This record gives sequence, structure tokens and C-alpha cells, in this order.
Amino acid sequence: MNTKRITKMALLTAVALILFTVEAQIPAPVPIPGVKLGLANIITVYAMFALGPADTLCILLVRVVLGSMFSGAMISLLYSLSGGLLCYAVMLLLRRVLSERQIWVCSVLGAVAHNAGQMLAAIAILRTTAVAVYFPALLLSGMVTGLFTGLCAQEVLRRLRKA
Amino acid sequence: MLKTRTWILLFAAAALALGLLSWRLLGTPVEGTVVEVVQDGVVLREIDLSAVREAYSFVVTWPDGGSNTVLVEPGRICVAEADCPDGLCVRQGWLSDRGAPLVCLPHRLVIRLKGEGALDGVSR
Repeated sequence: MNTKRITKMALLTAVALILFTVEAQIPAPVPIPGVKLGLANIITVYAMFALGPADTLCILLVRVVLGSMFSGAMISLLYSLSGGLLCYAVMLLLRRVLSERQIWVCSVLGAVAHNAGQMLAAIAILRTTAVAVYFPALLLSGMVTGLFTGLCAQEVLRRLRKA
Repeated sequence: MLKTRTWILLFAAAALALGLLSWRLLGTPVEGTVVEVVQDGVVLREIDLSAVREAYSFVVTWPDGGSNTVLVEPGRICVAEADCPDGLCVRQGWLSDRGAPLVCLPHRLVIRLKGEGALDGVSR
């Protein structure tokens, strides 16, 4: 593993953690557990297309673990991890079939997968399916935030390629 | 793979369907006045809200640290105070007479109406 690659990954992980920490300060717009902007997803999507699957997985895992520690809620690690890994799997599958201008599609479907993973974790942890009534609303929010973060990542990729 | 326009149409349709489903799930009244306070899958209390004459509150503690103060008034219930990191359970306000339960993920607490809601109707 060369120095340039490690530096890039470290830099992206740091940016993802900053986004994650800043976002944690913003109160959720609706009091539905699990609804959030997911700004750190911009980095995951960017890394998936700019660096590759292995590097993205490293960035994702380090960000999720450190992010939970920073926020002081280790319980959120379980939700983030199950959501993050499912999101990663979906994006891994879509990476090859989507064009440069369809990166946002990858992000939307990734966000939806993330929410599905979260919901499964919530049902397993709370041991009740009562929370499932929030699932469609959660998926809808995931589509909107996924679209936003995806368009951000797509724009970042386009501009950095030019530079 | 698909054209961008196809994706947009697909997502718009999915968003509409999810919106309608949410509206149906979170907007359908639940029959019954008995609520369950559930922590970590265990029913701690069952309260018939219609039988409550005077307001009272009780504290549900989470073994790993932290607690939620539940406020019960005639006909309604809410989480009045909590020291969970996100505080979403407090912001959810009074438990509605619809299907949506009060949820505190960090303390694994769920307060829900016992009875037939939209979800039960769908799954049966």
C-alpha cells in the first residue's frame, strides 16, 4: 500500500468524520428515529467511484467506529454498522453498471439499503416489530437525503476530475 | 443500464408509493386505550389510559445508565424527560391515537398502544 493511497484514505476518513460530527449538532427535523441527512455518505459514494471498493470499505468502517465513539453513543454503532454495510453492498453491485452521470442513483439506492439495515437492527435490538410502522417514512427520507448526498458526491467527482 | 429518465420515473413512483403507505400507516387510528411500556422486549407496564384519573409519572431506568421519565395523564402518555443522546423520545410528544409508537432507541424503550393498528390490519 503506497503512501499516496494511505494519505488519500486518511484525508477522506477525516472529512467524513468532520461531516458526521457537524451533522450530529443539527437537531433532526422530524422526531422519527433514524432520519438524518447522512452527509458522511458523500465521502462513501465519492470513494466508491474515485478510489475503489477496498479503500471505501476501510474508510467506511473507520468512520462508523470512530463516529460512534465521538458521538458518545456506542449503541448507535450497531445501527450504523448494519446500515453502512448493507449500503456498501448495494453500491458495490451498482458501481459497474452506472455511468458517471448516474452516481446519484447509486447513492439513493445505497441510502435506502442503509435505512433497511437500520430498521432490521432496530427490530432485532428492540425486539418488537412496532417500530416497523416508521419504515416507509424512513425509506422516503432516505431517498431524499440519498439524492442530495449523491448529487453532492457526483459534483465533487466531476470537479476533482477536471482539476 | 437504465436511462437517467427511467431512474427518475422509477424513484418518483417509489417515493409516491412510500408517501401514501406512510400516510396510511401513521394516519390510521388504533382501537383501544391500553398502552404497553416495553423495554428490551419486556413489557414493564400496561396502562389503561381511560382509567387514569390523576396525572402521575414514573422513571424507567436503563441498566447501562440513563433513564426516561414517563408522564401519564388522563387519556394520554408521553416521555417527559430523558437523558438519551438524541432526545427524540421527548420530542415525539404525546403518544398519538394512531399507529406510531414512542421510541427511544438508545434506551431500547417502546411505548405503544395495545390493539389493532394499521400494521396489524395489513399483516393479517
